[in-house]
This record gives sequence, C-alpha cells and structure tokens, in this order.
Amino acid sequence: MSPRLVPPGARELPALTELRLEVRAFLAEQVAAGAFVPHVDTWLTRWDRDFTRELGRRGWLGMVVPTAYGGQGRTYLERFVVTEELLVFGAPVAAHWVGERQIGPSLLRYGTEEQKQAYLPGISRGEVVFGIGMSEPDSGSDLASVRTRAERVDGGWRLTGTKVWTSGAHEADAFFALARSAPLDPEHRHAGLTQFIVDLRAPGVTIRPILSMGGDHHFNEVHLDGVFIPDDRVLGDVGEGWTQVTSELAYERSGPERVLSTFQLLAAAAQAMDDGRLPLDPGLGRHVARVAALHHMSFAVSAALEKHEDADTAAAVVKVLGTTEEGDIADYVDTLTATGWALDEELDTLLHAAILQRPGFTLRGGTNEILRGVIARGLGLR
Amino acid sequence: MTGPQDVTGAARLAAPTAPDPDLVEVLGDLFADYRATRTTPTAVVDLDRGLWQRLEDLGMTRLTGSESAGGSGGSWVDAAALLGLAAAVAAPVPLAEHDVLGGWLLQAAGLPNDGGLRTVCRPDPSGVALNVTWARDASRVVALWEDRDEWRVADVPADRIGIEERRNLAGEPSDTVEFDVDDLEAGTLVPHEIGEQFHLRGALARSAQVVGAMERILEIVLVHVRERHQFGRPIGRFQAVQHLVADIASETALARAATDAAVARAAASDWQDPGMLFAVGVTKSCVGHAASVVVRSAHQVLGAIGTTLEHELHTLTKPILARRSEYGSLQDWDETLTTLAASAGHDRLWTLVTTGRAKPSHDHRSHAP
Repeated sequence: MSPRLVPPGARELPALTELRLEVRAFLAEQVAAGAFVPHVDTWLTRWDRDFTRELGRRGWLGMVVPTAYGGQGRTYLERFVVTEELLVFGAPVAAHWVGERQIGPSLLRYGTEEQKQAYLPGISRGEVVFGIGMSEPDSGSDLASVRTRAERVDGGWRLTGTKVWTSGAHEADAFFALARSAPLDPEHRHAGLTQFIVDLRAPGVTIRPILSMGGDHHFNEVHLDGVFIPDDRVLGDVGEGWTQVTSELAYERSGPERVLSTFQLLAAAAQAMDDGRLPLDPGLGRHVARVAALHHMSFAVSAALEKHEDADTAAAVVKVLGTTEEGDIADYVDTLTATGWALDEELDTLLHAAILQRPGFTLRGGTNEILRGVIARGLGLR
Repeated sequence: MTGPQDVTGAARLAAPTAPDPDLVEVLGDLFADYRATRTTPTAVVDLDRGLWQRLEDLGMTRLTGSESAGGSGGSWVDAAALLGLAAAVAAPVPLAEHDVLGGWLLQAAGLPNDGGLRTVCRPDPSGVALNVTWARDASRVVALWEDRDEWRVADVPADRIGIEERRNLAGEPSDTVEFDVDDLEAGTLVPHEIGEQFHLRGALARSAQVVGAMERILEIVLVHVRERHQFGRPIGRFQAVQHLVADIASETALARAATDAAVARAAASDWQDPGMLFAVGVTKSCVGHAASVVVRSAHQVLGAIGTTLEHELHTLTKPILARRSEYGSLQDWDETLTTLAASAGHDRLWTLVTTGRAKPSHDHRSHAP
C-alpha cells in the first residue's frame, strides 16, 4: 500500500452535529441582529472582544482545556465543528484565535501549574488575549535563525530584539516570544531557544503597526528592549523552545481556518449565480467540491489528533491544499466579475478584501514552499 | 488530557470507516502475487480469466451481493477497497461492472444471478449502448432501460446481442452493444430510485478505481526519484522534483478523502442518504481534477522511460483518464455541483457542503433539481 499521508476518514455522528447546529443557530441570530457583518479572513481581520467574551460565556472557547483550568474539558472534534461554524459565518474571532488555538494547548502541555491557573481560565472566558512572537525581520521561514536575545539576570531573563507580523499585538495582553537563550551553535541550530511569556504592557515593550497593503492595521512590530521576564514566566524548559513550538504545529496547520477564510465570498458567489448577477459557471462546483473534500480531510486530521496520533505531514497537506484553495476562490470570483457590469456592494466588499488578504494565506504559519518540503520529508525524500 | 472518558467521548462523535482488515490482507496477497507474475504491459488489455477465477474462488466477484443471493454481503466500504486495490495493479477484470453494478441491478430487480460474467449498460431508446466495457467477454449483459418514465432491468444473454468490438483509451474492451428492443421491454420494472442510483453508483465505483490507481502511481514515483540519479544524486533530492511529488501526493490524498467520505455515507445509509448526489459529485470533481495533476506530474517525474510500452506507468495513467470520463464527464459533474450550490445559495451553501443537501434532513427528495 502507498504511504498513507492523511489519516482514514471519519464520519460525523449526530452528537457532534447537534453542537454544530447549536452554534449555527446562534450565529444566524447574531447576523440577523446585526451583531456582526460577515467578512472574509476574520480570524486575522475582525477583532471584537465583546463577541469573544460571548463565545466564552457559551462555552465555545477553551473547549479542550480541562474544567479544572476553567475550560470545557471537551474534545478536539467538538472544537473543530465550533471553529468551522465560526469561520463559515465570517464571525469576528481574531481576538481569541491565537490564544484559543495555540497558547492554551501549549500552556497545558508545557506550562507550570501556576501558569495554567494564571492564564487558562481567562483565555477560556475570552478575557485574556494572547499573541504570538516568532518571526523577526531576518527570520521568516528559517525560524531557528531568530536573534532576539534572552540574557540571564538575577531572578529571570532580559529579552532584547524585534518580533514582526505579530497579529493583534496592539490589542493583546501578552504574547509568547521565542528567543535565543544560548549562543547559536551552527552544528545544532535548533538548540538554545526558549519560549517566554511576555506581558505586552511591561516596561521596554514598544509596539508599532505594520500596515497591510489595503491600509489595515492587523500586524505589528514588537520591540523588546531589555524586557525583564521573571523565571516563572519561562514556558517549559530553557533551551527546548524549538521542540515546543514545532510540537504543536499539526493543530495550527490542519484547522478549518486553513480552508475557510474566503467561504463567505464563495457563498456570495453562489447566491449571485442563483440570482443571475453572475453567470452560472462550472468553476463554482469545482471550488465547492474542493472545499467539501478539504472539510473531510481536515476533520480526519482532527480525529487523528484526538487519538494523539502523529499528523504533522497530514496537517501540511491540509494547509498546502486548503490555503491554495481559499486563495483560488478569491481569484476565481475575480475572473467572473466585470467592472461596470453590475453593482453588488456585498460581493465587491468581500472580493476586494479576499484579494488583498490572499497573499498572506499561503505565507502565514509556514509557507507552502516550506510545507511541500515537510510533505516530501513525510514521504521519505529528505 | 487522555483517559477512558475521552475515548468514549470521541467514539460518540465520529465513526471511523475502514474496510474489513482481513479482506484487505487477502487482497493484498492476491494482487501482490498477480503483480509479481503478470506479463509485461501491452497496448491492448484483455480480460484475465485466470485472475477472474481466483477472485471468484475468494468470493470477490460477488462481494456486495447479499448472502441470501449467493453474494458475500460485503459493504460499500469493502467494495471500494477491492476496486481501489484491483485498480492499483490495473487488474483487467470487470469487478465494478459485474458485481457492484450488474449484480446490484439483478438483485434490485429480483432476477436470478448464475454468477456468469456480467457487464452492464444503459442502452439508448434504439437499444444501442456505446462504450460498454468488457461486453465481448460477458455471458450476459445487464441492461438498465429507461422507457417512457419507467425503469426496467433486463439480463440479456450474449447470443441475443450484437457487438461491435472497440477499445477505450486504456486499450480495454469498450464495445458498442446493440439489443433487440423487445428484450429490453421484457425487462423487470424497478423503482425509479434504482435508475437514478445507477449513475451515482457507477460514478463512485470509478472514483474508487481512479484513487487506487493514483495511490499506486505515488509509489512508483517515490521509488523512481530515489533510484534515478542525475548530477550525482537521486533526483528526489532536488527541491523542484520534491514539490512535484508533494503535489501528486496531496492531490491523491484529497481525492481519497472525498471518495472515503462518499463511500462512508453510502455504506452508512445503504445509499438512502439524500446527500449522495452531492457526495458522489464531490468525488468525481476532486478525483477528476486530481487526475490532471497526477497524470501530468507523474509522467514529468518519470521522464521519457515512463512513456514506453514496457513501463508500468501507462497501465495506470490511461485507465485513470478513461474512467474519469465515465458516468459523467468532469464538466458534467462540476455543472451538477454548480446547480446544487447555486440553488443552495448564500445561506445554505455550508449545509450543502456538510450534509450534501441544502434543505433540512426531514426533506426526503432524493435528487436536487
């Protein structure tokens, strides 16, 4: 048999569908009430702390966090359907996305008891908002080359360096920063890195916007100028930062946000075809089919992660295919619309936003070129 | 985060769908042996009666028939596994036509099945059917006949049909069959849903076969890029080649995910799920578009040697392209999905994606417009 890159499929059972429909009904109500306007790529571009807190009240954040730490003690599969519904509706979820997806699970795995107690209940209520600081001006795909320095001082560490592309840092409470705590050893480039929990309001932290090409402010540059980090805000083990950041990548890469960022645009295009505002075109069916297949594939990966199976390669497959597809949807709809042909403000708004966000889809969280390398490694070619 | 409670929780939420492991093992041995002993590839592909006999001895030629009707009672999950594994060795046997389609039609019509080799087709109103695979080898041809809004199944003996021998792109028998219309009109009436399901079952069987062949292509490609050296190293060490291979693997995995999902849905509902049209359409679309990438990239990676008659590659790439156009072209299926998606509209598109139907589940229309 061939090397099976993606875990075998699994069928969603009624208990899970029930949760899906509950979330869907809530979101439909919210849209009808005008609580939010559905948009594209909302896990980066739509920040709404009130909405995030409401999700926390309903038990739809911190779903995989044990109840002892203020979470819901539920499964990755349940989290999966909740996140799918939120993305499909284009709901404003950016405020909690990183904290809920990455920070919570990392704290659970590597955090001290005190750190878990300090942050997990707030993350699960949607009250504590986290960012993530990995990339630097000279470190993108090559993460091991980070230059932010962590120097040992009495009672803790001092961090000096610059992190970039930190989404929402200007609104967030804290972030995880990956820093070099021991000099670079060219023979062991992945050694000597450590993760720190950094209070973004601490002295020495300066946050400057990096405006995106549409003029929006989502990304930031975060300067750390000798920021003091007490010993109890080291995450996990000193020198184990690389292992820690890479061990959670399957969760980050295989989620529905790697497929559904432009679903609102696809849905608007379907409606426009039904209304005769766009020509009925087989490309719609092709894109809907790919989204459906990716939904199954992403669910299969989630089911494997639930069973603690290794899914790094499968997650890379989901991300390469999914992020390409969500971008292709933007380009596809663009090729159908003729300027001056018809006015459709809703479709235009979604389309323009999707086109501007598209380049980021296949860059963030590991470029597709890096991920094809991950897949090649999974196939035994590296 | 682990514990018995979580395991129970997950089992309540999602059902894995995997074929019978014993079946997979038996078939693995059988087809490995077949691969080791078969002759070198030829341009024309004829029925392998020896292989057919071995499959018959194992009960594989009637895998999906009910046990009371002399079948093995296998599920669609098992059937899809068999079709995929057979396609991976380009087995020249009519498993889809004889059992999954022909045997099913006979059983649905309550007609006897003597186990003799069958193929299957849908003749036009004049009684002619084109591109009937394996017709020249069949003892009888099962015809599904749509006549004035009624569907009939006729099991017509070979000596009552006219055959013009032709071959498809893969070099397989793909004959023109001419029936005596009286024989078709004498067929047994079957419910409408049988007539409608036939196309879907045929399409899903083809998807399962194409995915099986694509998975074998990935194996061939992986071996080749490790063994073939250029510029002093295996070509699999070149990033450009790795990316081609990653694309072959990824598209194959997507086609597999779509097909597994449709097969699971078919098996869980015995084809009664009203979302089957969408689910099968998703496989035909994803599998068909994946075929473009996989066939082209595999030939690119294998280089000139992969284009020769003696090489295994064309025994897979040609059937892939032949089968993706059967039971509806890629364009037909993309259009069907477009119609479903447009009529679902903005508010129901996601319901369509997740359930295969745009209306709530209490609506039992088996077909969207």
